[in-house]
Amino acid sequence: MNTHTIDTSAPVISADHYDTTAFYTDPDAIATVANTTAPDAVALPSPDASTAEILAAAQEAGRRAVPAPFAETALVARPLLRRVGLPVPDGPLSYAIAPDLTVRYAHPATSSVGSAGCSGDDDTLLVTGTLRRVPWARAATAVIVLATAPSGPVLFTVTPGQATLTPGGNLAEEPRDDLHLAALEIPATQVRRIAPELLDEARLRAALARSALIAGAAERCVDLTVAHTTARTQFGRPLSHFQAVKQEEARLIEEAALVRTAVQAAAAPLDTDGPAAHVAVAAAKTQASASAAEIARIAHQLHGAIGITRLNPLHLATTRLWSWRDEDGDETYWALRLAQPLTATTLWPVLTSTP
Amino acid sequence: MSPISPTPPSASTLSPIAFPDVALPESTRRLRTEVRAFLDEERARGTVLGRPDSWLAGWDPGFSRRLAERGWVGMALPTEYGGAGRGFLERYVVIEELLAAGAPVSAHWVSDRQAGPSILQHGTEEQRRFFLPRIAAGRCFFSIGMSEKSSGSDLASVATRAERTADGWRLTGTKMWTGGAHCNDYAIVLARTDETEDKHAGLSQFIVDLRAPGVRVEPIRLMSGEHRFNALHLEGVDVPDGMLLGQQGDGWKQVTGELAFERSGPERYLSTFPLLVSLLRELGQHPTTAGQLTRIGILAARLYSIRRLSLGVAAALDAGASPDTQAALVKDLGTRLEGTLIDTVRSVLPTPADPHATPGSHPELLAFALLHSPGYTLRGGTNEILRGIITRGLEQHR
Repeated sequence: MNTHTIDTSAPVISADHYDTTAFYTDPDAIATVANTTAPDAVALPSPDASTAEILAAAQEAGRRAVPAPFAETALVARPLLRRVGLPVPDGPLSYAIAPDLTVRYAHPATSSVGSAGCSGDDDTLLVTGTLRRVPWARAATAVIVLATAPSGPVLFTVTPGQATLTPGGNLAEEPRDDLHLAALEIPATQVRRIAPELLDEARLRAALARSALIAGAAERCVDLTVAHTTARTQFGRPLSHFQAVKQEEARLIEEAALVRTAVQAAAAPLDTDGPAAHVAVAAAKTQASASAAEIARIAHQLHGAIGITRLNPLHLATTRLWSWRDEDGDETYWALRLAQPLTATTLWPVLTSTP
Repeated sequence: MSPISPTPPSASTLSPIAFPDVALPESTRRLRTEVRAFLDEERARGTVLGRPDSWLAGWDPGFSRRLAERGWVGMALPTEYGGAGRGFLERYVVIEELLAAGAPVSAHWVSDRQAGPSILQHGTEEQRRFFLPRIAAGRCFFSIGMSEKSSGSDLASVATRAERTADGWRLTGTKMWTGGAHCNDYAIVLARTDETEDKHAGLSQFIVDLRAPGVRVEPIRLMSGEHRFNALHLEGVDVPDGMLLGQQGDGWKQVTGELAFERSGPERYLSTFPLLVSLLRELGQHPTTAGQLTRIGILAARLYSIRRLSLGVAAALDAGASPDTQAALVKDLGTRLEGTLIDTVRSVLPTPADPHATPGSHPELLAFALLHSPGYTLRGGTNEILRGIITRGLEQHR
């Protein structure tokens, strides 16, 4: 392939080792990756792992461009299922936060009207609509859906086989599939009514999962760029000896450090819920999304022409950065939410609210 | 040392982009509340005015003494020398609260940040017993005499000489950018004691009494017209043996050992923070658009993230590591943010900067922050030099 030095701690399971386009269409391969326990691959953390440990693993998955819904499973789907007391299926999982989905109770004829509004004789649902751009839907054992029923927010699971799937992908060709649900019946046993706060928590978990992936891809950009500028020689000296290169490289390193730190800082607040979690995650996703442009720009600039080809793995990181910054809320979305409660008197207390 | 969780790795295992995440010790929660209450009292007294760059420009010895009465000057110094024996992270919390409030901390700033720790680490027992209790009482203010006309980033090229006399040293030369030398009591001066091939060797540090014969302080006015800095002329100043700080010839090692402390603290990202508070105060009187909120949010996220990095360095320092690369990284990010903050404030609420507007009004604070802004990325080591340190640090780590 290429003659440039690349990361010698080469990942056993990473997108590097596959013709990416072919790989992403093979659900069995993705499931294998997601379930792998090979010691030097990224393994799903055990259920009782701390949020900080899961975040670190998700970051590693981002660094290796793992072709599986790793962060989606470990940081979003599994914790939410456990939270509402639904069984956690084996294999890769995904999620969809879909407040616009049309959700009815399946047995309205026998309904009684309670304080929560109209409800059926049980919680069996009839669901119609499209779940858009669901990460890795084609490969997921189950997709966790958060939607709004007549009684209020609900969480249920669908299996991709129950839906019509329109394949799609992001800039890195990671699957982002539409799932069309046509009056799909969801048995009451798979439905849980949830508090509105859980909907917020789902958004925070999704945003933090994505931020951890961004932090990993940013670190990969640093690894690859430093390796390249120290190995590549022009005008008789390594690129890294040029002052102009040092200046840019330092900024790349700084942005990556900034994202990584913001992600780490959100682990403890996420476990405690509350306003501190909102601040920490909003700050982390805002920073991760906002830094993506500069990280990708500098990494490509310092790689020169080889970086814009598939002869070099840089694109695995930069195309993900460009997609992930938009997914689960871009920097505009989260910055607005971070800033909304700020006033002259609350600004500093909010910024120092996380321990 | 304060309890930190999780334990930060030692410097050798710390990748420049892998900072430890820091949970501030529980004790800091109450401390923070106490500092905020103190600041409320001082606001009522009219001393805390929410001005930018208050660690450079807010000179108020009375405030420094009242702060010292609370035990918040030299607070990390041991109690046997008059300090409060508190941890480095506790000091961090006090400092960041003071700077965010724009409190006038410049009188004791160098004593607290550099002179105190330096005398504790390198000083003789006699020097410790004399200086440290006075520093912790907010009654002994220091300047730093390091840079010279031809010796800015390239500090090892200092030309100020110290020649042996019968009972001490005679110092000759001119220090530049000596902040506060016209009002402070002492300066720590870096001078050449031996002419050697290796320009890093042969340097020593001295404690110079700023009222001693032969000391001449000449103002260097800033572009705003303010008098903060001076040329410190040492015209054959006699310094007794007892005022050599540390070992003869160890000056370079002693000076560079302190750089991580100087480069990574909250003063490297909070200098213009009071201007952001002022902006929000202004916006409180107007409807705020989504576009304005977004720009504020992006800035706030960056500030929040840089603070976490800075805390990571503080924790590593508290644990006894010397995270020089990480400190350089924080300084480049933080001081650039101080300038970006001004740009954001201008774009969110276009306001002509006006140095003659009512003191403390938004246009006046904007003018003040702006006139100080070129200094943010220069003082404490120019950012271009720091970026070289960062790149080298990462290459060596690989």
